[in-house]
Amino acid sequence: MRGASRLRMDMRRNHMKKVPSAFLIQLLYFFLFMGLFFSSPLLVLAQEKGEEDQAQEEIMDVISDPFEPLNRFFFEFNDKLYFYVLKPIATGYKAVLPEPARVGVSDFFNNLAFPIRFSNCLLQGKGEGAAMEFARFIVNTFMGLGGFIDVASQEGFKKYDEDLGQTFGVWGVGPGFYICWPFLGPSSLRDTIGSVGDGFLDPVNYAFDEVIETLSVRAYYVINRTSLMLGDYESLKEAALDPYVSLKDAYYQNRKAKIKE
Amino acid sequence: MKGKTIILVAFLAAMVLSAAFFAPVVQGAAFLAPVVQGAALPAWAGGPTDRMKDTTDKIIAIVSDPAFKGPEKAEEKKKSIRAVVDEVIDWEEMSRRSLGIHWQKRTDEEKREFVRLFSLLIEKTYRDKAEDYAGEKVNYVGEKIDGDYAEVESRILTSKNTEIPVNYKMTKKQGKWWVYDIVIEGVSFVNNYRTQFNSILSSSSYPGLVKQLKAKTEKAEAKQ
Repeated sequence: MRGASRLRMDMRRNHMKKVPSAFLIQLLYFFLFMGLFFSSPLLVLAQEKGEEDQAQEEIMDVISDPFEPLNRFFFEFNDKLYFYVLKPIATGYKAVLPEPARVGVSDFFNNLAFPIRFSNCLLQGKGEGAAMEFARFIVNTFMGLGGFIDVASQEGFKKYDEDLGQTFGVWGVGPGFYICWPFLGPSSLRDTIGSVGDGFLDPVNYAFDEVIETLSVRAYYVINRTSLMLGDYESLKEAALDPYVSLKDAYYQNRKAKIKE
Repeated sequence: MKGKTIILVAFLAAMVLSAAFFAPVVQGAAFLAPVVQGAALPAWAGGPTDRMKDTTDKIIAIVSDPAFKGPEKAEEKKKSIRAVVDEVIDWEEMSRRSLGIHWQKRTDEEKREFVRLFSLLIEKTYRDKAEDYAGEKVNYVGEKIDGDYAEVESRILTSKNTEIPVNYKMTKKQGKWWVYDIVIEGVSFVNNYRTQFNSILSSSSYPGLVKQLKAKTEKAEAKQ
Protein backbone atom coordinates (compact mmCIF):
# COMPACT_ATOMS: atom_id res chain seq x y z
CA MET A 1 0.00 0.00 0.00
CA ARG A 2 2.98 2.33 -0.34
CA GLY A 3 1.55 3.61 -3.59
CA ALA A 4 -1.55 4.71 -1.77
CA SER A 5 0.24 6.74 0.87
CA ARG A 6 2.41 8.34 -1.76
CA LEU A 7 -0.63 9.33 -3.69
CA ARG A 8 -2.18 10.76 -0.60
CA MET A 9 0.92 12.82 0.15
CA ASP A 10 0.95 13.92 -3.42
CA MET A 11 -2.62 15.07 -3.16
CA ARG A 12 -1.87 16.98 -0.01
CA ARG A 13 1.01 18.76 -1.70
CA ASN A 14 -1.24 19.77 -4.54
CA HIS A 15 -3.77 21.02 -2.11
CA MET A 16 -1.19 23.29 -0.44
CA LYS A 17 -0.13 24.62 -3.77
CA LYS A 18 -3.67 25.56 -4.61
CA VAL A 19 -4.29 27.70 -1.56
CA PRO A 20 -4.60 31.10 -3.29
CA SER A 21 -7.23 29.98 -5.78
CA ALA A 22 -9.04 27.92 -3.17
CA PHE A 23 -9.23 31.05 -1.06
CA LEU A 24 -10.83 33.00 -3.89
CA ILE A 25 -13.40 30.27 -4.42
CA GLN A 26 -14.14 30.26 -0.74
CA LEU A 27 -14.65 34.00 -0.80
CA LEU A 28 -17.04 33.71 -3.73
CA TYR A 29 -18.76 30.90 -1.94
CA PHE A 30 -19.18 33.02 1.16
CA PHE A 31 -20.84 35.83 -0.76
CA LEU A 32 -23.17 33.47 -2.57
CA PHE A 33 -24.05 31.91 0.73
CA MET A 34 -24.87 35.27 2.28
CA GLY A 35 -27.11 36.05 -0.64
CA LEU A 36 -28.99 32.83 -0.11
CA PHE A 37 -29.63 33.44 3.53
CA PHE A 38 -30.94 36.93 3.00
CA SER A 39 -33.63 35.59 0.75
CA SER A 40 -34.22 32.33 2.57
CA PRO A 41 -37.46 33.06 4.47
CA LEU A 42 -39.25 33.50 1.16
CA LEU A 43 -37.62 30.40 -0.23
CA VAL A 44 -38.64 28.23 2.69
CA LEU A 45 -42.21 29.38 2.20
CA ALA A 46 -42.05 28.51 -1.46
CA GLN A 47 -40.86 25.04 -0.64
CA GLU A 48 -43.44 24.32 2.00
CA LYS A 49 -46.13 25.16 -0.51
CA GLY A 50 -44.79 22.18 -2.44
CA GLU A 51 -46.31 19.68 -0.04
CA GLU A 52 -49.18 18.72 -2.21
CA ASP A 53 -52.42 17.15 -1.34
CA GLN A 54 -54.19 14.74 -3.61
CA ALA A 55 -57.37 16.73 -3.28
CA GLN A 56 -55.88 20.13 -4.04
CA GLU A 57 -53.26 19.62 -6.69
CA GLU A 58 -54.34 22.82 -8.38
CA ILE A 59 -51.82 24.78 -6.31
CA MET A 60 -49.07 26.02 -8.56
CA ASP A 61 -45.72 24.79 -7.40
CA VAL A 62 -43.02 26.05 -9.69
CA ILE A 63 -39.47 27.30 -9.29
CA SER A 64 -39.09 31.03 -9.75
CA ASP A 65 -37.25 32.05 -12.87
CA PRO A 66 -36.44 35.76 -12.86
CA PHE A 67 -33.72 35.34 -15.50
CA GLU A 68 -35.85 33.39 -17.93
CA PRO A 69 -34.65 35.14 -21.11
CA LEU A 70 -31.00 34.52 -20.22
CA ASN A 71 -31.76 30.96 -19.11
CA ARG A 72 -33.60 30.29 -22.34
CA PHE A 73 -30.61 31.59 -24.25
CA PHE A 74 -28.28 29.18 -22.45
CA PHE A 75 -30.82 26.38 -22.84
CA GLU A 76 -30.69 26.89 -26.60
CA PHE A 77 -26.90 27.04 -26.38
CA ASN A 78 -26.76 23.75 -24.49
CA ASP A 79 -29.26 22.24 -26.89
CA LYS A 80 -27.02 23.07 -29.86
CA LEU A 81 -23.96 21.96 -27.92
CA TYR A 82 -25.62 18.63 -27.27
CA PHE A 83 -26.72 17.95 -30.84
CA TYR A 84 -23.68 19.35 -32.66
CA VAL A 85 -20.82 18.48 -30.32
CA LEU A 86 -21.57 16.24 -27.37
CA LYS A 87 -23.91 13.77 -29.04
CA PRO A 88 -21.66 13.03 -32.05
CA ILE A 89 -18.63 12.57 -29.79
CA ALA A 90 -20.53 10.40 -27.31
CA THR A 91 -22.02 8.34 -30.16
CA GLY A 92 -18.56 7.67 -31.60
CA TYR A 93 -17.22 6.86 -28.17
CA LYS A 94 -20.14 4.51 -27.59
CA ALA A 95 -19.32 2.68 -30.81
CA VAL A 96 -15.75 2.13 -29.68
CA LEU A 97 -16.23 1.19 -26.05
CA PRO A 98 -18.75 -1.51 -25.09
CA GLU A 99 -21.38 -0.67 -22.53
CA PRO A 100 -19.95 -2.62 -19.57
CA ALA A 101 -16.68 -0.69 -19.90
CA ARG A 102 -18.54 2.64 -20.00
CA VAL A 103 -20.58 1.64 -16.98
CA GLY A 104 -17.26 0.78 -15.31
CA VAL A 105 -15.86 4.22 -16.03
CA SER A 106 -19.01 5.80 -14.65
CA ASP A 107 -18.79 3.61 -11.54
CA PHE A 108 -15.12 4.55 -11.11
CA PHE A 109 -15.93 8.27 -11.09
CA ASN A 110 -18.88 7.71 -8.79
CA ASN A 111 -16.71 5.77 -6.38
CA LEU A 112 -14.16 8.57 -6.43
CA ALA A 113 -16.81 11.10 -5.43
CA PHE A 114 -17.46 9.14 -2.25
CA PRO A 115 -16.33 11.97 0.09
CA ILE A 116 -19.19 14.16 -1.22
CA ARG A 117 -21.90 11.61 -0.52
CA PHE A 118 -20.39 10.54 2.78
CA SER A 119 -20.06 14.09 4.15
CA ASN A 120 -23.52 15.07 3.04
CA CYS A 121 -25.05 11.99 4.63
CA LEU A 122 -23.43 13.13 7.87
CA LEU A 123 -24.56 16.74 7.38
CA GLN A 124 -28.11 15.50 6.89
CA GLY A 125 -27.89 13.26 9.94
CA LYS A 126 -28.22 10.11 7.88
CA GLY A 127 -26.02 7.80 9.92
CA GLU A 128 -27.11 4.71 8.07
CA GLY A 129 -26.41 6.41 4.75
CA ALA A 130 -22.92 7.46 5.83
CA ALA A 131 -22.15 3.94 7.03
CA MET A 132 -23.51 2.47 3.83
CA GLU A 133 -21.52 4.86 1.65
CA PHE A 134 -18.38 4.09 3.65
CA ALA A 135 -18.94 0.36 3.23
CA ARG A 136 -19.63 0.84 -0.48
CA PHE A 137 -16.40 2.78 -0.91
CA ILE A 138 -14.31 0.15 0.85
CA VAL A 139 -15.96 -2.72 -0.99
CA ASN A 140 -15.81 -1.09 -4.42
CA THR A 141 -12.28 0.23 -4.03
CA PHE A 142 -10.78 -3.02 -2.81
CA MET A 143 -13.08 -5.59 -4.36
CA GLY A 144 -14.19 -3.70 -7.45
CA LEU A 145 -10.79 -2.88 -8.95
CA GLY A 146 -10.59 0.59 -7.52
CA GLY A 147 -14.23 1.34 -8.22
CA PHE A 148 -14.55 0.07 -11.79
CA ILE A 149 -16.94 -2.63 -10.68
CA ASP A 150 -19.82 -1.68 -8.43
CA VAL A 151 -19.59 -4.85 -6.35
CA ALA A 152 -21.44 -3.17 -3.50
CA SER A 153 -24.62 -2.64 -5.53
CA GLN A 154 -24.54 -6.25 -6.65
CA GLU A 155 -24.36 -7.18 -2.98
CA GLY A 156 -27.37 -5.03 -2.25
CA PHE A 157 -25.61 -2.03 -0.66
CA LYS A 158 -27.88 0.90 -1.35
CA LYS A 159 -26.47 4.10 -2.87
CA TYR A 160 -27.06 7.36 -1.03
CA ASP A 161 -26.74 9.99 -3.69
CA GLU A 162 -26.53 13.02 -1.42
CA ASP A 163 -25.01 16.38 -2.30
CA LEU A 164 -24.71 19.76 -0.63
CA GLY A 165 -27.67 21.23 -2.53
CA GLN A 166 -29.83 18.49 -1.05
CA THR A 167 -28.30 19.06 2.38
CA PHE A 168 -29.34 22.72 2.21
CA GLY A 169 -32.77 21.53 1.13
CA VAL A 170 -33.00 19.19 4.11
CA TRP A 171 -32.07 22.14 6.32
CA GLY A 172 -35.08 24.01 4.93
CA VAL A 173 -33.45 26.18 2.30
CA GLY A 174 -35.52 26.56 -0.84
CA PRO A 175 -34.04 26.43 -4.33
CA GLY A 176 -33.94 30.22 -4.72
CA PHE A 177 -34.36 30.53 -8.45
CA TYR A 178 -33.69 28.51 -11.55
CA ILE A 179 -30.37 28.82 -13.37
CA CYS A 180 -29.56 27.17 -16.66
CA TRP A 181 -25.78 27.24 -16.84
CA PRO A 182 -23.99 27.06 -20.16
CA PHE A 183 -22.26 23.65 -20.43
CA LEU A 184 -23.54 22.51 -17.02
CA GLY A 185 -27.29 22.71 -17.61
CA PRO A 186 -30.14 23.05 -15.13
CA SER A 187 -29.45 24.17 -11.58
CA SER A 188 -30.77 26.53 -8.96
CA LEU A 189 -29.12 29.14 -6.80
CA ARG A 190 -29.06 26.72 -3.88
CA ASP A 191 -27.75 23.79 -5.92
CA THR A 192 -25.10 25.92 -7.63
CA ILE A 193 -23.73 26.94 -4.26
CA GLY A 194 -23.95 23.29 -3.24
CA SER A 195 -21.95 22.18 -6.27
CA VAL A 196 -19.20 24.69 -5.50
CA GLY A 197 -19.05 23.40 -1.94
CA ASP A 198 -19.02 19.78 -3.10
CA GLY A 199 -16.16 20.66 -5.43
CA PHE A 200 -13.92 20.99 -2.38
CA LEU A 201 -14.54 17.32 -1.60
CA ASP A 202 -14.07 16.05 -5.13
CA PRO A 203 -10.71 14.26 -5.49
CA VAL A 204 -10.64 15.06 -9.21
CA ASN A 205 -10.14 18.72 -8.28
CA TYR A 206 -6.98 17.85 -6.35
CA ALA A 207 -5.45 15.20 -8.56
CA PHE A 208 -3.85 17.47 -11.16
CA ASP A 209 -1.56 20.48 -11.26
CA GLU A 210 -2.96 21.98 -14.41
CA VAL A 211 -6.50 23.26 -14.79
CA ILE A 212 -6.53 21.88 -18.33
CA GLU A 213 -5.91 18.37 -16.99
CA THR A 214 -8.80 18.65 -14.55
CA LEU A 215 -11.03 20.01 -17.29
CA SER A 216 -10.02 17.18 -19.63
CA VAL A 217 -10.97 14.60 -17.03
CA ARG A 218 -14.27 16.41 -16.46
CA ALA A 219 -14.94 16.51 -20.19
CA TYR A 220 -14.21 12.81 -20.45
CA TYR A 221 -16.59 12.13 -17.58
CA VAL A 222 -19.32 14.10 -19.33
CA ILE A 223 -18.77 12.25 -22.63
CA ASN A 224 -18.88 8.90 -20.86
CA ARG A 225 -22.01 9.84 -18.95
CA THR A 226 -23.68 11.15 -22.10
CA SER A 227 -22.88 7.90 -23.91
CA LEU A 228 -24.98 6.12 -21.28
CA MET A 229 -27.85 8.60 -21.55
CA LEU A 230 -28.20 9.08 -25.30
CA GLY A 231 -31.83 9.45 -26.22
CA ASP A 232 -33.02 10.68 -22.82
CA TYR A 233 -32.88 14.34 -23.74
CA GLU A 234 -34.41 13.58 -27.13
CA SER A 235 -37.42 11.88 -25.54
CA LEU A 236 -37.89 14.78 -23.14
CA LYS A 237 -37.91 17.15 -26.10
CA GLU A 238 -40.24 14.90 -28.06
CA ALA A 239 -42.78 14.71 -25.25
CA ALA A 240 -42.67 18.40 -24.38
CA LEU A 241 -44.70 21.28 -25.72
CA ASP A 242 -42.10 23.67 -24.34
CA PRO A 243 -38.84 21.74 -23.72
CA TYR A 244 -37.34 24.62 -21.73
CA VAL A 245 -40.23 24.66 -19.26
CA SER A 246 -40.39 20.86 -19.20
CA LEU A 247 -36.70 20.51 -18.33
CA LYS A 248 -36.87 23.26 -15.74
CA ASP A 249 -39.84 21.63 -14.04
CA ALA A 250 -38.30 18.15 -14.28
CA TYR A 251 -35.17 19.47 -12.60
CA TYR A 252 -37.18 21.15 -9.86
CA GLN A 253 -39.40 18.12 -9.20
CA ASN A 254 -36.48 15.69 -9.25
CA ARG A 255 -34.48 17.74 -6.77
CA LYS A 256 -37.50 18.11 -4.52
CA ALA A 257 -38.01 14.34 -4.53
CA LYS A 258 -34.33 13.73 -3.77
CA ILE A 259 -34.43 16.11 -0.82
CA LYS A 260 -37.51 14.36 0.54
CA GLU A 261 -35.80 10.95 0.39
CA MET B 1 2.22 14.06 -15.15
CA LYS B 2 4.28 10.96 -15.88
CA GLY B 3 5.14 10.38 -12.26
CA LYS B 4 1.50 10.68 -11.41
CA THR B 5 0.52 8.04 -13.92
CA ILE B 6 2.99 5.63 -12.37
CA ILE B 7 1.62 6.34 -8.92
CA LEU B 8 -1.91 5.77 -10.15
CA VAL B 9 -1.00 2.47 -11.78
CA ALA B 10 0.84 1.37 -8.64
CA PHE B 11 -2.15 2.40 -6.60
CA LEU B 12 -4.52 0.38 -8.74
CA ALA B 13 -2.18 -2.62 -8.68
CA ALA B 14 -2.05 -2.42 -4.90
CA MET B 15 -5.84 -2.33 -4.85
CA VAL B 16 -6.12 -5.44 -6.99
CA LEU B 17 -3.58 -7.31 -4.87
CA SER B 18 -5.18 -6.30 -1.63
CA ALA B 19 -8.56 -7.43 -2.98
CA ALA B 20 -7.52 -11.01 -2.41
CA PHE B 21 -6.91 -10.30 1.27
CA PHE B 22 -10.09 -8.37 1.70
CA ALA B 23 -12.34 -10.93 0.04
CA PRO B 24 -13.33 -12.70 3.27
CA VAL B 25 -14.07 -9.36 4.95
CA VAL B 26 -16.37 -8.33 2.14
CA GLN B 27 -18.21 -11.60 2.11
CA GLY B 28 -18.61 -11.12 5.81
CA ALA B 29 -20.06 -7.66 5.21
CA ALA B 30 -22.57 -8.97 2.70
CA PHE B 31 -24.76 -10.22 5.52
CA LEU B 32 -25.51 -6.58 6.30
CA ALA B 33 -27.26 -6.06 3.00
CA PRO B 34 -30.57 -7.79 3.72
CA VAL B 35 -30.83 -6.05 7.07
CA VAL B 36 -30.48 -2.65 5.47
CA GLN B 37 -32.75 -3.45 2.56
CA GLY B 38 -35.53 -4.10 4.99
CA ALA B 39 -37.84 -6.98 5.61
CA ALA B 40 -39.44 -9.01 2.84
CA LEU B 41 -42.22 -7.22 1.01
CA PRO B 42 -45.76 -7.93 2.12
CA ALA B 43 -48.02 -9.76 -0.26
CA TRP B 44 -51.03 -7.87 -1.61
CA ALA B 45 -53.80 -9.15 -3.75
CA GLY B 46 -56.36 -7.57 -6.05
CA GLY B 47 -55.05 -4.07 -5.40
CA PRO B 48 -53.41 -1.33 -7.46
CA THR B 49 -50.08 -3.17 -7.65
CA ASP B 50 -51.74 -6.17 -9.25
CA ARG B 51 -53.33 -3.88 -11.82
CA MET B 52 -49.96 -2.37 -12.69
CA LYS B 53 -48.17 -5.72 -12.73
CA ASP B 54 -50.79 -7.11 -15.05
CA THR B 55 -50.49 -4.12 -17.40
CA THR B 56 -46.69 -4.14 -17.41
CA ASP B 57 -46.61 -7.87 -18.14
CA LYS B 58 -49.02 -7.40 -21.05
CA ILE B 59 -46.95 -4.54 -22.50
CA ILE B 60 -43.72 -6.51 -22.15
CA ALA B 61 -45.38 -9.47 -23.86
CA ILE B 62 -46.40 -7.24 -26.79
CA VAL B 63 -43.03 -5.54 -27.28
CA SER B 64 -41.13 -8.83 -26.95
CA ASP B 65 -43.53 -10.77 -29.19
CA PRO B 66 -41.73 -11.78 -32.41
CA ALA B 67 -45.12 -11.73 -34.18
CA PHE B 68 -45.13 -7.92 -33.85
CA LYS B 69 -41.63 -7.41 -35.26
CA GLY B 70 -41.10 -5.45 -38.42
CA PRO B 71 -42.50 -2.19 -39.79
CA GLU B 72 -45.56 -3.79 -41.41
CA LYS B 73 -46.76 -4.86 -37.96
CA ALA B 74 -46.10 -1.46 -36.38
CA GLU B 75 -49.71 -0.31 -36.69
CA GLU B 76 -51.05 -3.53 -35.19
CA LYS B 77 -48.56 -3.34 -32.33
CA LYS B 78 -49.50 0.27 -31.69
CA LYS B 79 -53.18 -0.67 -31.45
CA SER B 80 -52.44 -3.53 -29.06
CA ILE B 81 -50.40 -1.29 -26.78
CA ARG B 82 -53.07 1.41 -26.85
CA ALA B 83 -55.73 -1.15 -25.94
CA VAL B 84 -53.75 -2.30 -22.89
CA VAL B 85 -52.96 1.26 -21.81
CA ASP B 86 -56.59 2.35 -22.23
CA GLU B 87 -57.55 -0.39 -19.79
CA VAL B 88 -55.58 1.20 -16.96
CA ILE B 89 -55.10 4.92 -17.58
CA ASP B 90 -57.87 7.34 -16.74
CA TRP B 91 -57.22 9.81 -19.55
CA GLU B 92 -59.88 12.26 -18.45
CA GLU B 93 -58.58 12.42 -14.89
CA MET B 94 -55.04 12.87 -16.18
CA SER B 95 -56.14 15.66 -18.54
CA ARG B 96 -58.23 17.37 -15.88
CA ARG B 97 -55.31 17.45 -13.44
CA SER B 98 -52.86 18.58 -16.10
CA LEU B 99 -55.02 21.50 -17.16
CA GLY B 100 -55.64 22.39 -13.52
CA ILE B 101 -57.79 25.48 -13.04
CA HIS B 102 -58.23 25.87 -16.79
CA TRP B 103 -60.21 22.62 -17.05
CA GLN B 104 -63.37 24.11 -15.53
CA LYS B 105 -63.53 26.87 -18.12
CA ARG B 106 -63.69 24.42 -21.02
CA THR B 107 -66.86 23.24 -22.75
CA ASP B 108 -67.59 19.51 -22.95
CA GLU B 109 -66.58 19.54 -26.60
CA GLU B 110 -63.24 21.21 -25.78
CA LYS B 111 -62.64 18.75 -22.95
CA ARG B 112 -63.23 15.78 -25.24
CA GLU B 113 -60.86 17.17 -27.86
CA PHE B 114 -58.23 17.91 -25.24
CA VAL B 115 -58.42 14.42 -23.72
CA ARG B 116 -58.07 12.90 -27.18
CA LEU B 117 -54.97 14.95 -28.10
CA PHE B 118 -53.32 14.71 -24.71
CA SER B 119 -53.81 10.94 -24.55
CA LEU B 120 -52.19 10.61 -27.98
CA LEU B 121 -49.15 12.51 -26.76
CA ILE B 122 -48.81 10.55 -23.52
CA GLU B 123 -49.42 7.27 -25.29
CA LYS B 124 -46.71 8.08 -27.83
CA THR B 125 -44.20 8.88 -25.07
CA TYR B 126 -45.11 5.75 -23.18
CA ARG B 127 -44.95 3.61 -26.31
CA ASP B 128 -41.49 4.91 -27.24
CA LYS B 129 -40.25 3.96 -23.79
CA ALA B 130 -41.90 0.54 -24.00
CA GLU B 131 -40.40 -0.10 -27.45
CA ASP B 132 -36.94 0.44 -25.98
CA TYR B 133 -37.58 -2.48 -23.64
CA ALA B 134 -34.52 -4.72 -23.52
CA GLY B 135 -35.26 -7.23 -20.79
CA GLU B 136 -35.07 -4.80 -17.87
CA LYS B 137 -36.46 -6.16 -14.65
CA VAL B 138 -39.33 -4.38 -12.97
CA ASN B 139 -39.62 -4.66 -9.21
CA TYR B 140 -42.64 -3.55 -7.24
CA VAL B 141 -41.34 -2.20 -3.99
CA GLY B 142 -44.28 -0.60 -2.30
CA GLU B 143 -47.90 0.39 -2.31
CA LYS B 144 -49.66 3.14 -0.41
CA ILE B 145 -53.43 3.20 -0.26
CA ASP B 146 -55.35 6.11 1.21
CA GLY B 147 -59.07 5.70 0.66
CA ASP B 148 -59.74 5.95 -3.05
CA TYR B 149 -56.17 7.01 -3.82
CA ALA B 150 -53.11 4.81 -4.16
CA GLU B 151 -49.50 5.02 -5.18
CA VAL B 152 -47.68 2.01 -6.58
CA GLU B 153 -43.89 2.18 -6.33
CA SER B 154 -41.76 0.30 -8.80
CA ARG B 155 -38.10 0.22 -9.78
CA ILE B 156 -36.82 -0.51 -13.24
CA LEU B 157 -33.39 -2.14 -13.17
CA THR B 158 -31.46 -1.11 -16.27
CA SER B 159 -28.50 -2.83 -17.87
CA LYS B 160 -26.49 0.25 -16.92
CA ASN B 161 -26.49 -0.66 -13.27
CA THR B 162 -29.05 1.98 -12.33
CA GLU B 163 -32.47 1.83 -10.80
CA ILE B 164 -35.19 4.08 -12.14
CA PRO B 165 -37.96 4.70 -9.65
CA VAL B 166 -41.33 4.77 -11.41
CA ASN B 167 -44.44 5.43 -9.35
CA TYR B 168 -48.04 5.22 -10.48
CA LYS B 169 -50.66 7.39 -8.85
CA MET B 170 -54.04 5.74 -9.00
CA THR B 171 -57.62 6.41 -8.07
CA LYS B 172 -60.49 4.01 -7.56
CA LYS B 173 -63.55 4.43 -9.73
CA GLN B 174 -66.41 1.93 -9.89
CA GLY B 175 -64.35 -0.59 -7.95
CA LYS B 176 -61.39 -0.41 -10.30
CA TRP B 177 -58.02 1.26 -9.89
CA TRP B 178 -57.04 3.74 -12.62
CA VAL B 179 -53.74 5.53 -13.22
CA TYR B 180 -53.96 9.31 -13.32
CA ASP B 181 -50.27 10.17 -13.01
CA ILE B 182 -46.90 8.56 -13.64
CA VAL B 183 -43.95 9.77 -11.57
CA ILE B 184 -40.50 8.94 -12.93
CA GLU B 185 -37.53 9.78 -10.69
CA GLY B 186 -39.72 12.14 -8.74
CA VAL B 187 -40.96 13.93 -11.85
CA SER B 188 -44.72 13.77 -12.21
CA PHE B 189 -46.14 13.77 -15.74
CA VAL B 190 -49.17 15.73 -14.62
CA ASN B 191 -47.15 18.39 -12.81
CA ASN B 192 -44.71 18.70 -15.68
CA TYR B 193 -47.46 19.20 -18.25
CA ARG B 194 -49.41 21.50 -15.97
CA THR B 195 -46.36 23.73 -15.65
CA GLN B 196 -45.99 23.77 -19.43
CA PHE B 197 -49.70 24.36 -20.06
CA ASN B 198 -49.79 27.21 -17.57
CA SER B 199 -46.74 28.78 -19.11
CA ILE B 200 -48.24 28.55 -22.58
CA LEU B 201 -51.66 29.76 -21.42
CA SER B 202 -50.14 32.77 -19.69
CA SER B 203 -48.52 33.99 -22.90
CA SER B 204 -50.97 32.54 -25.42
CA SER B 205 -54.61 31.38 -25.34
CA TYR B 206 -56.47 28.09 -25.04
CA PRO B 207 -56.88 27.76 -28.84
CA GLY B 208 -53.15 28.45 -29.10
CA LEU B 209 -52.42 25.63 -26.67
CA VAL B 210 -54.64 23.20 -28.58
CA LYS B 211 -52.92 24.22 -31.79
CA GLN B 212 -49.53 23.41 -30.28
CA LEU B 213 -50.80 20.13 -28.90
CA LYS B 214 -52.19 19.21 -32.30
CA ALA B 215 -48.94 20.09 -34.05
CA LYS B 216 -47.03 17.98 -31.55
CA THR B 217 -49.20 14.88 -31.89
CA GLU B 218 -49.35 15.17 -35.68
CA LYS B 219 -45.58 15.44 -35.82
CA ALA B 220 -45.27 12.43 -33.55
CA GLU B 221 -47.69 10.41 -35.67
CA ALA B 222 -45.93 11.39 -38.90
CA LYS B 223 -42.66 10.09 -37.49
CA GLN B 224 -43.94 6.53 -37.19
